[in-house]
Amino acid sequence: MKKKLTFKNFSIYFDQYLFISISLLSVMGLFFLYSASQGDLSAVIKQSIFVGFGLFLMFILSQPDPDFYKIFSSLFIVLAIVLMFATMIFGREINGAKRWLNFGFFTLQTSEIIKIALPIFLASYLYNKPLPISLKHTFITLALIFFIFYLVYSQPDLGTGLVVFMAGIYILFLAGLGWKFIFTSFGLIVLSLPFLWNNFLEPFQRQRILTFIDPSSDPFGSSWNITQSKIAIGSGGMSGKGFQEGSQANLNFLPEAETDFIFAVIAEEFGFLGICILLSFFFFILLRCIYLAVNARDRFCRLTIGGLSLVFASTLFINLGMVVGIIPVVGMPMPFISKGGSSLLSFYIAFGIIISMATHKKLMQK
Amino acid sequence: MIDLDERYFEKKSFSHRLVIVYVFFGFAFSFFLYQTYSLQVSEYRDYETAAIANKTKEVLVQPVRGIIYDRSGKIIVNNVPTYDLIVKASLIKSIDSFLSDLSPIIELDTNELDYVKENFDLKASYNRELIIKKNLSTEEIAKFEVRSYKFPHAFIDVRYSRYNNYPKLFSHAIGYVGGVNNDELNSILDSQALPQIDTIFKYSNGFQIGKTGLESTYDHILRGKFGKKIYEVDARGRFVEERQFIKPTNGEDLYTTLDIEAQKVAYDQMDNRRGAVVAIEIDSGSIVSYVSTPSFSTNAISNGISSKAFNTLIQDNNKPFFDRASQGRYSPASTIKPAIALFGIENNIIDWDFSMEDPGYFILPEDQRVYRGWRKGGHGNVNLNKAMIVSSNTFFFSLAYKSDINELIEHLSNFGFGAKVCVDCFNPDKALLPTPEWKMNNLNFGWFKGDTVNMGVGQGYLSATPLQLAYYSTVLANKGTSKELSFTYDNQDIKNLNIQLDNISNIDWKRLHQSMIGVIESPIGTAKSLQELKTYIVAAKSGTVELVSTDTKEDYKIIRENEGNRDHAIIIAFGPMPNPKYAVSVVIENGESGGSVAGPVAIAVLNSLIDK
Repeated sequence: MKKKLTFKNFSIYFDQYLFISISLLSVMGLFFLYSASQGDLSAVIKQSIFVGFGLFLMFILSQPDPDFYKIFSSLFIVLAIVLMFATMIFGREINGAKRWLNFGFFTLQTSEIIKIALPIFLASYLYNKPLPISLKHTFITLALIFFIFYLVYSQPDLGTGLVVFMAGIYILFLAGLGWKFIFTSFGLIVLSLPFLWNNFLEPFQRQRILTFIDPSSDPFGSSWNITQSKIAIGSGGMSGKGFQEGSQANLNFLPEAETDFIFAVIAEEFGFLGICILLSFFFFILLRCIYLAVNARDRFCRLTIGGLSLVFASTLFINLGMVVGIIPVVGMPMPFISKGGSSLLSFYIAFGIIISMATHKKLMQK
Repeated sequence: MIDLDERYFEKKSFSHRLVIVYVFFGFAFSFFLYQTYSLQVSEYRDYETAAIANKTKEVLVQPVRGIIYDRSGKIIVNNVPTYDLIVKASLIKSIDSFLSDLSPIIELDTNELDYVKENFDLKASYNRELIIKKNLSTEEIAKFEVRSYKFPHAFIDVRYSRYNNYPKLFSHAIGYVGGVNNDELNSILDSQALPQIDTIFKYSNGFQIGKTGLESTYDHILRGKFGKKIYEVDARGRFVEERQFIKPTNGEDLYTTLDIEAQKVAYDQMDNRRGAVVAIEIDSGSIVSYVSTPSFSTNAISNGISSKAFNTLIQDNNKPFFDRASQGRYSPASTIKPAIALFGIENNIIDWDFSMEDPGYFILPEDQRVYRGWRKGGHGNVNLNKAMIVSSNTFFFSLAYKSDINELIEHLSNFGFGAKVCVDCFNPDKALLPTPEWKMNNLNFGWFKGDTVNMGVGQGYLSATPLQLAYYSTVLANKGTSKELSFTYDNQDIKNLNIQLDNISNIDWKRLHQSMIGVIESPIGTAKSLQELKTYIVAAKSGTVELVSTDTKEDYKIIRENEGNRDHAIIIAFGPMPNPKYAVSVVIENGESGGSVAGPVAIAVLNSLIDK
């Protein structure tokens, strides 16, 4: 159960289920990273600092009342958008992508901020709108979602862009988007797919999707990653090759073994059984989020918990789907496990906010 | 603000919609789990194999080629070690400082330096070995060994080059080796069940394959089987560690029937004249001597020859690369006469008592054309014995005239004419046993009776290689039987060949041998000059191949001014009689006299074989 510990004048807000399962996942992640980085202790130490800081951040962010987030949600989104523009201008370019802002001691991937700010803002915008959401509010919401999607997508970062987009749509849907609207727009989207394909996808993105459909068309190009990933996973078998025994990772056949493809390392070394155990933690976290969302104190909290947990679920699914080859390679870390800075911290922040939403009970209004 | 009812409705709607979203995720997730299960459980074997294939690299290790011996067990071709200086490139920090440290000990020329500098980075990044210098001298090896502690990542390794102890004697019989091309290598790898792609030789890359002669015919035995070193490699192809070493199986040695002494004698006797000598051990059909001259050094060809020296050989008018023994086509000339004689007796055209007048020419009744003998005025009254001894053309013209051409062709083919007579010779030529069909197809002319008459003295279209003549000589010596010729005693493919001659008795064979003995021993024999060269009895038949047809000796004197117009000298011989052990054939191009020019070579070779 969610806890509210009261000490005289102030209370501590804390959900032990989420806290413990996330902590355990994070610690397992450190072990996996040790193996994936071929025993690079400094990478593990750096990551554990992030984990420690992340858990602390999660705890701190659980404390404010949801109203704090509701009130400041507009400020957050404006700040996040400003940061996005700043990235566009001052960002560091790595491999043709401008996604990072350098603060000296820390490099911030700004799309990670907007990934959280958008759901909270949309929740605060929609929580008091009558059901079903009117066409006017729907269009305002959609305009914002597309605008922000476009900001992220143009970095370019299709993966995060899709997560942001999906998160926005979830919230709109959870908030009570009219069914008529849903079916009409779905029909229109299907009809406009060829146009999107020709005008909005970069050639390399189109190539990725094509090689996804027919991997043999490009054996050493973009599908090299996915081929090696499949070999790593498949060769792990039922029980795996053992900790640090994965040849695909150790001999560098697996690309991005520490980040996007860390799941393949785990699958190679711990097999199908290991994967099932690991995924049960994620499963538990998601189930807990459903419970918390349904039982949250008001519509704002419900929408926020629902939206943020779906951001988490989408990220996880995109990562897993990509690694096993059922969706195209888009570049997406595995939450709490992959090596990273901003992307790792963003989920501690998200869960901190989720816990805040879940643990604060409404003060009785006089 | 929304009211309480609406709030309840809103909460219910939210819950339903959240469930819808998660059901959607549930489906997606099940699909993911199904995919993972297929990869890890259903298709595990395939992916396990793929992971192993990813991380292992096989490197072939060369076998050492088999040694080639003569029939008394002396080594003819051996492998001599040469020493190369090699480094483990990835362990060398700076190749420039390595080279400058090395320069006082081992000097590198600019080509070698360029090779090292060009290849260092690549070899280092793949953790491969790099050859710094090939063929170190003993002095260089000694200097390096003393200071090797200074070069922990350099070592000297052995490589083998092919070395013929008698480089010019066996150049056509044994042949030479050379670098392997991709197709050849692939078919070798295929035969040893090794993968064709992705195989890199240990370092020397100098795998050699037999190109000509026995080196080629018996290459599959001599070459051996590749070993393997199996390395673990990373994604960049860099060697991580050696996992397994399967030793190569060295090539089998080849014990030939060749006789070094006889070969030396034959080669020396030929004295660089254009021609060939083939000698056969009659019982086994084995080739004991096989010489084509002029010759060349196989060592130079196998282990590197300058292009200038190579061009000199290629452009030499005497064609040293041409294997006259199995590819030179020569008219058998009078050496055909024993076979024609046997045909006459077999078919009751003549017997030993038959005699006729030899006026020195034969007139073809059909068109009155004159066919001349070699001696003006002829040999008087000749029977078969005398016709053999004095080599009467008239006698054999007349005998051939009475012969059926198709039966005669069949008869000659039994003696190896126009046929393959050797199991393991390299690319032997069948020469030409002409038939009426052949003439019609190739020359657009019908067969004339005159063609048959010419065949009776071994002239015209008929041709044979020295190898075929040696076989013919063996068949004559062995009274109509022989084994197929071979350079080894134990080749599985050797066949026994018997000629069916129903009407030829042992007495006929003895009389034939007697007449061939007369060729040397009789005071009127065409090769009587050979009598004193030996201590035993030899049967022979000499021949003189007319290249330009002349009517008189005076005419010949004019055309012989040009060496290329002079007659070829040719002889077949076997001995010691009456139980011959060796048969021999000798051809000397433009040597003019079979008896006195080719004869001494044949006798010298027989001497070297029989004196033992």
